[in-house]
Amino acid sequence: MLTIPEMKNRAKIHRKNLEKIFYPDSVAIVGANKVKGTVPYDILMSIVNANFNGVIFPVSPREKFIAGIKSYKYVLDIEDPVDLAILVFPSAVCHLALEQCGQKGIKSVIIISAGFREIGGAGIEREQQLKAIAEKYDMSFIGPNCLGVINTDPQSSLNASFARKMPEEGPIGFLSQSGALCTAVLDYARAKHIGFSKFISFGNKADISEIDLLYYLMDDPKTKVILLYLEEVTNGRDLLEAARTVKTKSGKPILIIKSGRTEAGAAAAASHTGSLAGSDEICDAAFEQAGIIRCHNIVEMFNRAIAFAYQPIPKSNKVAIITNAGGPGVLTTDAVIHSGLQLARFSEETAKHLKRYLPSTANRSNPIDVIGDARADRYNAAMTATFKDDDVDAVFVILTPQSMTDIDLIAREIAKVSSHYQKPVYASFMGQADVQEGIEVLQRNRIPHYQIPESMADALSNVYLFHTQDGKLVPPHTFDDVNAAEAKKILDRNIQQGNHLLAENESIEVLRHYGLSTLPAKLATTHKEAEKIAHEIGYPVAMKVVSNEIAHKTDVGGIILNINNAKEAAEAFNTIINNVKLKLPDAQLNGVLISPMVFEGEEVILGMKRDPAFGPVLMFGMGGIYVEVYKDVSFRVAPVSEMEATQMIERIKGYPLLQAFRGREAKDIEALRLSIMRLSQLTLECEQIKELDINPLIVLSKGCYVVDAKIMV
Amino acid sequence: MEKSEITTRVKKVVSEVLEIPTAEIGDDANFIFDLGANSMQSVLLVGAFEEEFNIEMDEDKALEVQNIADAVDFIGGYV
Repeated sequence: MLTIPEMKNRAKIHRKNLEKIFYPDSVAIVGANKVKGTVPYDILMSIVNANFNGVIFPVSPREKFIAGIKSYKYVLDIEDPVDLAILVFPSAVCHLALEQCGQKGIKSVIIISAGFREIGGAGIEREQQLKAIAEKYDMSFIGPNCLGVINTDPQSSLNASFARKMPEEGPIGFLSQSGALCTAVLDYARAKHIGFSKFISFGNKADISEIDLLYYLMDDPKTKVILLYLEEVTNGRDLLEAARTVKTKSGKPILIIKSGRTEAGAAAAASHTGSLAGSDEICDAAFEQAGIIRCHNIVEMFNRAIAFAYQPIPKSNKVAIITNAGGPGVLTTDAVIHSGLQLARFSEETAKHLKRYLPSTANRSNPIDVIGDARADRYNAAMTATFKDDDVDAVFVILTPQSMTDIDLIAREIAKVSSHYQKPVYASFMGQADVQEGIEVLQRNRIPHYQIPESMADALSNVYLFHTQDGKLVPPHTFDDVNAAEAKKILDRNIQQGNHLLAENESIEVLRHYGLSTLPAKLATTHKEAEKIAHEIGYPVAMKVVSNEIAHKTDVGGIILNINNAKEAAEAFNTIINNVKLKLPDAQLNGVLISPMVFEGEEVILGMKRDPAFGPVLMFGMGGIYVEVYKDVSFRVAPVSEMEATQMIERIKGYPLLQAFRGREAKDIEALRLSIMRLSQLTLECEQIKELDINPLIVLSKGCYVVDAKIMV
Repeated sequence: MEKSEITTRVKKVVSEVLEIPTAEIGDDANFIFDLGANSMQSVLLVGAFEEEFNIEMDEDKALEVQNIADAVDFIGGYV
């Protein structure tokens, strides 16, 4: 494992070496052979066939020439300098080849070979060996276990992969952890004339990771949009930082497919937060915080990517819809509204123009229905009018193929008219066979085409939201009235004593040290003490068992509420102790905690789970059945700024319950927001805490109080 | 059997299977990296060694052997 400074140093080395991975003047294919249909041969031929702008050196133990190119036994035998080595040897000897690359002074390497970490056992050791060699020589490598790298920039024209064909040049940078998915994506994209700037399969990401590649693509002038297929997030906080940097420095969107959306493991968690915060929910929240657009499948990803890549950014979310069929117009209108976009209101001038050029049976308001027999001239009239209208900032054109519809002419008309305006246009030619010719025209002219019109609304809303949301990281507020030392003392003491769960009174104490408001509560160890404490606090009171071994007090009869006098207090004490001893005879009990009853306010839950990839993740939700049954919760990765705390509160469906309605007073949202921010600071400063639940936190019209809390260390 | 004899006979087998002159086969030559053996030839080498030395080897372990020197040691354990 590298230390943080060593990792930062490696990242610097990668940034330098990545340039020669994409723009090498010379490439050695190490482990090449003459056998057609094998990876070593096909990679060599991919480079040759893509007309690589540089020198190619096959390196093969056996061959003197491959495909007419002089071959070398060892990379050390090449007299000229080599910028990039592509290793295609079996995994067992890759370390020998990499060692020679290091001796030769080659800094940039792609390791295609499989048989490393992905197979476990000896494969893990082999991968470690490669990393050690790379570190020794300040080399950087992509892979192992990958498809390779493609750079369509004519300056390089490098297809260092075993994909079947070089893709078209375009503004999309594609990164994938899965090599096989890459070939499918390339085939899909080729059929739709979607071009790529850089195409990278990074496999096991043993050395160069997706984070290094994100920074590279951020600075790559050929890339406008970055797509990433990820199977595992290994360093979530660095990924978020990279995504934020890419957004703020370059304005380039990052679209991610993160597979592995389901997880069964969370079910056994000790806290509500633990059970609700699955890795997928955390990814959703984290990506949103960093301005990453999460996509659920390849089609959705490319539908959005082409909108980002090929069309201008809309100035507002107001859309004009032009269609030759009523039904699709209504469907699109629904999708527009559902996606948070608006239908534009046409000006008088637009209305006049439409009246002049469209038949009386046409619908001239938005969505414009040019009627089924419309030809290119009517589409032209509708597009010209709407593009000119100041209230229109994007145009959706829908076509259904009637007998008289001149499909390819209309497609050409869309390309021609839209080229005069800095407003995005998307099209949906509905159908498959008859409309194909028109779709080809659209795709070749970089007009995003969508099989169903609803996808246009999804794509535009993503583009619009991305450019309106501020991606800057707002530094969180740091509270200076906290007592971190005392909180840590309690946590450390429990760790030393081997307690995984803090007793409730200690959990509350930790929260109190971070400025969260708590109810006055005292621990009774006898029924006599219970009587006395209950009297001091004032009736009615609540009584709860306190133990480091009991996570779910209700399950063991450990809670009695609404105790109104001394006799009830003494009885409740004995009942709780007896109940718990019956259910858990061996549990060590600290006593019974007595606190005042709270009858007002709204119950909410606050929690934290320390995620292995993203660190502390906070959860907020309405309490009681809302969290139990509806799982109405929101997440954010700490640190949580004031704005993010607000988003957490407003995001849940139960948010209106915290606002004034039907004579009920609004709850103290500010106090709640501050509690979330204080909790964020606690979880960042006290790394001992693994999981935490405040359930419930009662929010009153003024203030809020921790009523019950659970901290796991 | 003397180690030098095993080495000579191992090189002879390798020369025949991989079609490389024995003079070009070093004592530490790696079957794949230096001599260019592919996976099929690796399997053939194991069979040829068994025939040459009239032994029966653990095939999985035999296939893990990477170079001439290790092959000599490995076969030495059987003869």
